[in-house]
Amino acid sequence: METIPQTEAQPNPTPPERLAYSVQEAADMLGVNYFSVYRLIQRGKLKPCRALRGKLLVPRTELLKLLATE
Amino acid sequence: MTNPFEHRRPTELEDKAHAEAVRHFAEHLKQFPASREAVERLERDADKIALAANRAASKPTPKENVIQADDGKQWHKNADLMENIHFCHRPISYGAEYAVVEHFPAHGTSEILNRGWNAGEVLKAFTQGLRQTLQVWTEDVSAQVREFLSEKFPGQDLSRVADAFIHKCTTQAVSQKHSRTHSHDQKHNRGMRI
Repeated sequence: METIPQTEAQPNPTPPERLAYSVQEAADMLGVNYFSVYRLIQRGKLKPCRALRGKLLVPRTELLKLLATE
Repeated sequence: MTNPFEHRRPTELEDKAHAEAVRHFAEHLKQFPASREAVERLERDADKIALAANRAASKPTPKENVIQADDGKQWHKNADLMENIHFCHRPISYGAEYAVVEHFPAHGTSEILNRGWNAGEVLKAFTQGLRQTLQVWTEDVSAQVREFLSEKFPGQDLSRVADAFIHKCTTQAVSQKHSRTHSHDQKHNRGMRI
């Protein structure tokens, strides 16, 4: 019977950084309520993208840009 | 939007799916009515606020309650519209200019959100923006609820559940308990104010 060589156990790699967040997640990260994030979106201060079903996603880059300018 | 469950009782599956959606999106159900009521209150009071601003603008303006906005001009505070958002005026040679100014205490800056020569119109533009914000919120929650239901109950038509949830979210009143929590949250909002 053929044996499969054992490989050394690899430590869990760091999960890749998320590219975008839901409005709830963005609000939690910024420490504000949901209305504040939707206001930023409505005023064009945060530019979201839409997932396939129409849900808003806030790109990580937009959050970083906002924090840099605020 | 009417509640679809008023016309035909929910099935057992719809009941279960609705309960799961309510649990999963509880925070939206808590925050949306509070924000909606704040907007409605402003819309109700807009005429009174505009009238008071007109009166204030026709009198000599006091030196206190002045904001230096990002346009470099000095604005006199007339009323607080929301936390750190003020209705202001500044005298000009032929009357007064009005503005909605948002103040960012952490940075000491103040941004003009709306401005114009007519107090009522400026307030109207501001509240219309808030209405649009509520609309963006509603559409997003609707999309999220539909996604949640389709993932949790694949292959089932639960559009009535999604509609019933949105109806609940956009029409339910703020509970007394939440009313207190909301004002507490506003006072103790973490991080930056936006």
